[in-house]
Amino acid sequence: MTEALLETRGLSKHFGGLAAVSDVSLAFEAGRVHAVIGPNGAGKTTFLNLLSGEMRPSAGSVWFKDRAITGLTPDRVARLGIGRSFQRTNVFTELTCFENCWIAAQSRLPSSLRFLRPANRRSDLAASAARSLEMCGLLARRDHAASALSHGERRQLEIAMILATEPELLLFDEPLAGMGYRESQDVIALLRRIAEKRTIVLIEHDMDAVFSIAHRITVLVNGCVLETGSVSEIQGSRAVQAAYLGAEDEP
Amino acid sequence: MRPLSRPLLVLLLVIVALLVAFPQLAERYYVQLATKMMIMGIFAMSLDLLVGYTRLVSLGHAAFFGLAGYALAVLQRDLGLVSLWTTLPLTLGICALVALLVGALAIRTSGIYFIMVTLAIAQMLYYFANDTRALGGSDGMFIGAKPSAEVFGLELFDLKNRVTFYYFALGALVASFFLARMVLASLFGRVIDAIRCNEPRTRALGFTTWRYKLAMFAIAGMLAGLAGYIGAAQDGIVNPAYLSWHQSGQALVIVILGGMGTLYGPVVGAFVLIALEDVAAGITEHWLLFIGVFVIAVVLLLPRGIASLPIVEMLGRLRRGGTPPPRPIPEAGDD
Repeated sequence: MTEALLETRGLSKHFGGLAAVSDVSLAFEAGRVHAVIGPNGAGKTTFLNLLSGEMRPSAGSVWFKDRAITGLTPDRVARLGIGRSFQRTNVFTELTCFENCWIAAQSRLPSSLRFLRPANRRSDLAASAARSLEMCGLLARRDHAASALSHGERRQLEIAMILATEPELLLFDEPLAGMGYRESQDVIALLRRIAEKRTIVLIEHDMDAVFSIAHRITVLVNGCVLETGSVSEIQGSRAVQAAYLGAEDEP
Repeated sequence: MRPLSRPLLVLLLVIVALLVAFPQLAERYYVQLATKMMIMGIFAMSLDLLVGYTRLVSLGHAAFFGLAGYALAVLQRDLGLVSLWTTLPLTLGICALVALLVGALAIRTSGIYFIMVTLAIAQMLYYFANDTRALGGSDGMFIGAKPSAEVFGLELFDLKNRVTFYYFALGALVASFFLARMVLASLFGRVIDAIRCNEPRTRALGFTTWRYKLAMFAIAGMLAGLAGYIGAAQDGIVNPAYLSWHQSGQALVIVILGGMGTLYGPVVGAFVLIALEDVAAGITEHWLLFIGVFVIAVVLLLPRGIASLPIVEMLGRLRRGGTPPPRPIPEAGDD
């Protein structure tokens, strides 16, 4: 068993009386794709928000590379090497694809409080931005405004931005949502390529995609971990079938 | 921050050339009026850095305009500093420092709350100046001598001369414009662009966005201080009106009138508004009514300000090749 890159211990988030996430303890191993699935309202996005710092947990802790990152703000979490995509695609719509990736690459500089030199002299950032655009198949759209892209392309652009930040761990919140078949296949192939070198936490509703990409799967129901296991273990689990995959469909 | 298109650059250069020639052609009164316009232009441009480029709508920007005036008056009266080379850097430093403090409070809020916090802090300064005897209360303070530009006994230029003072203000205006453009074209400027477009996304990428907003607030405060310094030096007096919300509000009107997010728009706006005030006040005592109608007309017909006049737009869109692209490609695309 490889070492855990990210770990949660007793992680909980309450909204008033509602326990969106309760007592989730999980280990995400380095170099693996770990999918978190569950029915709508199971607390998947909330869980991701706790990991990325968008929300503060009510209880429990988050550990990244054996360091507690509980309660850090999203910018600090990102600088530690954790990049995330959002359920509703989140890019700079007024900027071009290239500029989107540029600013993402720039986020890796120790500080951008640099006022004098023109930014466009930084050919290293330009190269990094172009590289991530190429990896996501968007090089031809380089100078198009993000607002001119299709829904699927915007998703790819957001992934390109995250790659430009050179994260060790990527958090994906339903990267395939609302995509057509072709676009989905492209993004699945892209996720596979990313997974060759990096660790991924994937929230996704498309079960075929999850079963084909993920190494491990956790099933979340009502904010609690129902089961964690390999793809075949989850596919064979009776409890999971009953709770989520729909036992009545079985012959 | 896009590079200025060549026709627009030529237009701006022509305007600067006209401004250089102006004192040779015009009467004394108009030289002083044009100086006022340029001072207001610097002030409005500094506010544009916040409103147009960072989407921080401040209704208390006069705090730094007035602060600079009082700083100059106090430095001169209490410390006996008369040299431009000491009072100007000190004043700008004080303004930047106070802007950092004010910004640290105000930046925590956004939208309407940011407007209210900046307004409240500016009003506090206003009443502080108004009620402090040492600062002359509502009468304000005299600034007996124009800052002297002496270096080792050699007088480089004489600000007591109105025409020289005019050129000093013109130099400050041009320098402010290029300083602002330099800042906006830097790595820092890229982050400001990103914050304006989508602040949560910028934060999720790893930028501690409040630091950048605060830095911009300090830069804008310092530039407003430059305007206030020159303004108070020209008037020879500084009073609480320098700090008043009228002053902040007028700058905001000028930014919107001229076209925010352009830098040159607010400068043009300052010239137009002050010229119009001067003309209208000469015709009728109900001149404010004319100004009101004019402002409403511009906002209705040119929602993006005077800088969006079809002719200016056209100049701005023309590229070196001559064909307008579907969307102007920012400088990053050029390298």
